[in-house]
Amino acid sequence: MSKTLINVIDREGATREVEWEPEQSLMETLRDNDFPVLASCGGTVSCATCHVFLEKPVLESLADRSEDELELLEDAEHYNPEASRLSCQVQQCDSLGGINVIIAPEED
Amino acid sequence: MSEEAIVIIGAGHAGVQAAVRLAELEWAGRIIVVEEQDGPTYERPPLSKEFLKPGASDEIAALRKESYFEDKRIERITGATVTGIDAGARSVTLSDGTSLGYFRLIIATGSQARALTVPGSELPGIHLLKTRDDAQALRRAMRPGAHVVIIGAGYIGLEVAAAAAKLGCTTTVLEFQDRVMSRVTSAPVSRHFEQLHQEQGTRFVFGAAVTEVRGNGKVQEVVTADGSAYAADVVVAGIGVLPRQALAEAAGIDVKDGILVDADSRTSDPNVYAIGDVTRLIIKDQGINRRLESIQSALAQAVSAANSIMGLTNTKHEVPWFWTVQHGVRLQTAGLRLPEDDIIVRGNPKDGRFSVLYLRDGRLAAIDTIAALSDFTVGKKLVASGAEIDPEIAADPANKLTTAVRELVDETR
Repeated sequence: MSKTLINVIDREGATREVEWEPEQSLMETLRDNDFPVLASCGGTVSCATCHVFLEKPVLESLADRSEDELELLEDAEHYNPEASRLSCQVQQCDSLGGINVIIAPEED
Repeated sequence: MSEEAIVIIGAGHAGVQAAVRLAELEWAGRIIVVEEQDGPTYERPPLSKEFLKPGASDEIAALRKESYFEDKRIERITGATVTGIDAGARSVTLSDGTSLGYFRLIIATGSQARALTVPGSELPGIHLLKTRDDAQALRRAMRPGAHVVIIGAGYIGLEVAAAAAKLGCTTTVLEFQDRVMSRVTSAPVSRHFEQLHQEQGTRFVFGAAVTEVRGNGKVQEVVTADGSAYAADVVVAGIGVLPRQALAEAAGIDVKDGILVDADSRTSDPNVYAIGDVTRLIIKDQGINRRLESIQSALAQAVSAANSIMGLTNTKHEVPWFWTVQHGVRLQTAGLRLPEDDIIVRGNPKDGRFSVLYLRDGRLAAIDTIAALSDFTVGKKLVASGAEIDPEIAADPANKLTTAVRELVDETR
């Protein structure tokens, strides 16, 4: 089985390729690879500290954002309707190999 | 060697976060996390929520995968209890008789569920809910049709009540106060959740003082002061937690319903820090003296302790926040309310989503949001900034919450 590798762009603009392991949410992968996602709520859609930007076609290929996720995102400072996701709500799948993930700027 | 070791007691949210932060800051010495429970680290919030749902997976998400700790050279000792701290010698003794020297010690022993003390409290069938083992035992016991009596209508009691009702149990909640979650929220929020539970078949008994648990070899009924008896196959006590401070206390570290710590999570012993549920934060000039049961606060304290050990200054002041989910309805709270705060209900509880604002001297001190997460994010920021709020504007949910702000008092806070 081939590994799912993704490109993560951090808040300083540097890109690093990391492996996204099966069964993991994107948030867990980012956290395990030392990206600064706080994920204070442990992935329960209660905060917006794992906010990331995805490319539009990638976003559109995923299942719709839940109402809770949208509410949290819409009030996040750097919300972009065409790119924003809470990374705890994006599960690994093989078709996501090669995508670019941008960590959203930190909230005040 | 020991001069370089940081020993962390407890691998809950706080303890793990402290280890992670130390690794992130590239602490050059050893990082050793001692945990009395066997097995991987795990998330606590799901134990009373998703884990108890019908058909839920046996898996509980780990705080970090095991290989993470290896990669970061964080040493884990599991299934071992710390039996003593020798503050003078800077070492801890483990249950297997060995000892570990430390340069700095971080106590993250958390809290334990308060147990019943009435006659019959030792009967099989009485459950507490704190650990993975507790949750597994409770899940096995809550069979469809079982009579589940829950003592205490706080977060835990109500989350268990929701799960029990969903599992097809006959569910009764006994509460000493006159409404649910009276310690943490206001009457409008309590009423909303009471109705939600009642619609799902849960019965509440308020003003109920439990005096005895009866049963022949196992629980059969719970008796209250007025002589009523409630049939029970399963009893769950959700009557609060106690900080696990005995180790610190025995070592001569200052405790008072929690290990006393400052904003850097330092205890009265300069080599010892404490973080998470076991602590009581004291900041005299801000009038802060509080013990919290909050993951976000535990994580923030873990970071502050690690920063302090590494010689960094802690500047961030976070607003404590909390959440609970019952019958799919989410209550999120930011800030700490006081019973005497002025209350503004924003929106109509009948619509299923509303917020309650708590004003102190006209400023937003706390906010409860019920299925209204957008108010939560904004409200948390307004609590942090000490915003003065126009009650009339805030009461109408058609207005954005930010438009109710009169002035930002202190933007640097």
